[in-house]
Amino acid sequence: MKFFVNKFVKNREVTVVLFLLILFSLVGLKNPAFISPSNLMLTLKGSVMYIALAIGMAFVILTKEIDVSVGSILGMSAAVAATMLRNGRGLFSIIIVTLMVGIVSGLVNGIGVTKFKIPSIVMTLGTNGILRGLMFIYTGGKWVENLPDYFKQASQKNIFGSMNAFVFFTFIVMIVIHLYLTKARRGKYFAAVGDNLEGANLVGIKVNFMKILAFVLSGAFASIAGMVYVSQVGFVGNVAGNGAEMTAIASCVLGGVSLNGGLGSVLGATFGAIIMNSINTALVFLKVPAYWNNTISGLLLILIVSSDALISRYLVTSAIKQRLSVKTESNGDSRKEEIGGEINEQI
Amino acid sequence: MGLPIIKKYGGIKMKKTKLLSLILVVAMLLSVLAGCAKPADDNSGKTDAPDKVETPAGDAGDASDAKDIKVVFIPKLTGNMFFESANDGAQEIAKKVGFEVKYDGSPEASVANQVQIINSAVNQGADAISISSLSPDGLNQALKNAMDKGVKVVTWDSDVDPEYRSAYINQGTPELLGAMLVDMAASQMSDEQLESAKFAFFYSSPTVTDQNAWVEYAKEYIADKYPGWELVTTQYGEQDAQKSLQVGQSILQTYPDIDAVLCPDSTALPGMAQAAKNLDKAQDVIITGFATPSSMRDFVKDGTINQFGLWDVNVQGALGAYVAYWLALGNELKVGDTIDVPDIGPVKVEPNSIQGYDYDAEDSGIILLPERVVFTIDNIDNYSF
Amino acid sequence: MSRFKKLLRWEAALVVLLALQIVVFGMINPRFLRLNVLLYSVNDFVSISIISLFVTFVIITGGIDISVGSIIGLSSVVVGILWKMAGFNIFATIPVALLVGALSGAINGFLVAYVGVQAMVATLGTMLLYSGFSLVIMGISGSSAFEGISGMPLAFLNIANGNVFGIPNPFIIFAALIIISYILLHKTKYGRYVFLVGINKNAARYSGIDHKLVTLSTYILSGTSAALAGVILTSYLGSSRPDLGAELTLSIVTAVVLGGTLITGGSGGVIGTALASVIVGILRFGLQMAGISSQYISVGVGLLLIIAVAIKGLSLSNFPRLRKLLERAIRN
Repeated sequence: MKFFVNKFVKNREVTVVLFLLILFSLVGLKNPAFISPSNLMLTLKGSVMYIALAIGMAFVILTKEIDVSVGSILGMSAAVAATMLRNGRGLFSIIIVTLMVGIVSGLVNGIGVTKFKIPSIVMTLGTNGILRGLMFIYTGGKWVENLPDYFKQASQKNIFGSMNAFVFFTFIVMIVIHLYLTKARRGKYFAAVGDNLEGANLVGIKVNFMKILAFVLSGAFASIAGMVYVSQVGFVGNVAGNGAEMTAIASCVLGGVSLNGGLGSVLGATFGAIIMNSINTALVFLKVPAYWNNTISGLLLILIVSSDALISRYLVTSAIKQRLSVKTESNGDSRKEEIGGEINEQI
Repeated sequence: MGLPIIKKYGGIKMKKTKLLSLILVVAMLLSVLAGCAKPADDNSGKTDAPDKVETPAGDAGDASDAKDIKVVFIPKLTGNMFFESANDGAQEIAKKVGFEVKYDGSPEASVANQVQIINSAVNQGADAISISSLSPDGLNQALKNAMDKGVKVVTWDSDVDPEYRSAYINQGTPELLGAMLVDMAASQMSDEQLESAKFAFFYSSPTVTDQNAWVEYAKEYIADKYPGWELVTTQYGEQDAQKSLQVGQSILQTYPDIDAVLCPDSTALPGMAQAAKNLDKAQDVIITGFATPSSMRDFVKDGTINQFGLWDVNVQGALGAYVAYWLALGNELKVGDTIDVPDIGPVKVEPNSIQGYDYDAEDSGIILLPERVVFTIDNIDNYSF
Repeated sequence: MSRFKKLLRWEAALVVLLALQIVVFGMINPRFLRLNVLLYSVNDFVSISIISLFVTFVIITGGIDISVGSIIGLSSVVVGILWKMAGFNIFATIPVALLVGALSGAINGFLVAYVGVQAMVATLGTMLLYSGFSLVIMGISGSSAFEGISGMPLAFLNIANGNVFGIPNPFIIFAALIIISYILLHKTKYGRYVFLVGINKNAARYSGIDHKLVTLSTYILSGTSAALAGVILTSYLGSSRPDLGAELTLSIVTAVVLGGTLITGGSGGVIGTALASVIVGILRFGLQMAGISSQYISVGVGLLLIIAVAIKGLSLSNFPRLRKLLERAIRN
């Protein structure tokens, strides 16, 4: 059983990288400028914010919950960071306070979901609205502008030649987290909780704690994404982060993180985020009239998730079929076909 | 009293207490709201009730005392620097003259929301409405309803059908603004570029009325004056700063020999500027458009942008509020007249035809802002919005 | 049976909540209590109410539909383009718009039920797709997306702006749809199938129900209702625009959840949804009448949602230590 599950998971990550490569090659064929090294680095730079969101979201989705408040956590964090920057606070305190925004929001979400048994979609929908309103009150409705240059420059710094610092650190963090989630005992608890809540509980995992932790991490990463936003974009408007949660969820799903919990990795989510971000820019390179943008983005998304769903169905079906054929062969049962047929429909 | 709860803590019998607690909590919430809201609305709550009920037709406008006049100031959406600045202007002049301006808008740009806000303003007994409309015709029904009930209607920044408003505070006709957009770019071009420049439009979306109107006219103007120019692409930033940045970068990469990018949108222009700065292309591309000075100040100062434009939004907002108030006082608007606005001076009421409308009436006109402003490094510090 | 009773209690709570709202807002601003003000206020949120009635069906099967906002815009564009560019009689455009809505819903349902895509992601993709379609249709037909199409005949405008004996038409349409959806969901075999599919897909299948078809049909219903709301909205504003309704999705989902329908599926009802949508609509309206600016309304709605659902799920078993404390106190 383990063998098939492993193969299955590995396949999801391979498929997302495959999609990414297909996307890049197709667009690159039409316009080679898209795959030029400088543009690739630009795409990665632009994806950093979405990758951060996707990594945080992955924690939550692994535990079979969902967090649609990350967009407004991003916005609120960005507003707080930018305001503190403008007021000339020290970098250290800015980072701490901004992270607190995400951590506290995540805590609220987590407690609502675990202690008050509010379904996560409802809870986070509620906090989403509340945070939006709070952000408006906090900024007084005005944009936060005129930020000190040093912070904006941070996102442009390169190390090792032309590798952007943010991108580099993002990948390091992503790899560390991936290893943690797949190898470390505690790390595997997230997927365990999402895969089988009762089972995890019985084995002694503190499921409530894990869930709250997942939400806190999601909030914290959203805050980090908010700081990246401030550094890259340079100012914070009132709609900052609107809709970012949908992109984060789509990135995770694209990357193989199943909304049913227990399955997936931040590796896949990262590539999913890169795909989501690339679609926007790819359309410009394809020289398609811009009013086609939404249509094409929607079609691409549907195409990718559909083929992903079909592939995963096929894999699960064939795995079950294989097991069944082994079983029935050993029993000399000629009803194998019948059973196989029924399994097909069930999926 | 606590016993029943504990005895049946298992679950089902909790229903009664659940009901009760829900009611209690919500009652608390609402009464807190009531407490917060009351002082602000004391006027319309108490004094309005008796007389307004009697005379539904004369609901508004029978307040001859300036302090009782309430103008509801409605932006296209809230949280946008441009509209916040307009509101600042409106609030300032209201405080000076002594009437009340209520700023009411929704964070999403939605025509249906604007209709709801108009209806709500009418129901609350506002004397006048001053609105920047998201749609040239979608608000007609709601505004007609308002005017029937005696509420004065003034528009600013973005107009509606002139039949449904008394005056429009216009920052400039599409001709003026479209031409301004092009001229700002052209003035930075070399002779060679003026002959055959490659340019692009980059703004918010295909559904935003005025930006598209300006671009449409700009295209005509270019075809006329600079026939050698080539439009390589039109892109949309959807008023999303991150997206605007990315699309901006993509434009520069896809069209490496582009000469100018025209950005008549307050989110697209800073995004484009930042993109040029990131890619180190600021010196090779002419970037210009419309945005608030505060969002562009740094770019002008470090040379990324040479010049860009707008108009004094504070003044526009102030005019929008004041003219509404002036009408609510009972004055009558006549084309050709001049209205004296405190601190701003006399403004003339032009006929609707200057905007290209067919509807011409004595009592419906356009007030044109005296000037549009081109911001450069020399004058940008004079403005604080 | 106990689930039914539970729901009834929840709906009773909603009615009390609604009454409370009216009383409190009435106290803040007596104009709120004027009958025609209240009735006509429905016009401003009737789209949310109509659509949430049928999104309830979708959510009961365990799915979700976030593309409804885009379907509103799409149907508005269909009405406008067919009337202006193709010369259709404007009333003839309505069935076409409804058909387009049904088709959009069918695509949603197909992706969710037959291809197996997660409902949230599938409808996210179609949300983009349908809003993109609206723009493309506008763009290709040569009319500009920013101006919208207007100038429709009075008879059409009266669909949303007219009234019968003082009751605004949209209110009547809403009431009719409540009855229809109620009968469909609670009184027919089909309705029972919808519930069963939501409770346990496989159990439904073993009972002989084609769960994929049932799921598909719920999306068709929600898509059609969105198209209907789009037609009404177009009539109300007198303008056909591709961006109509884009911001309504959140309110619709809020209304359904607030109405007592479980987001995980299997339980819920249209009466609760209808009440909840009115509560949310009146909350918006009442807060505005109370002088609070619209931007703070999202805070109010968010709070309401959380508190309502929290209380619904409240049970001392979630707080073992509190329970022990109270037990000890009672014993002593």
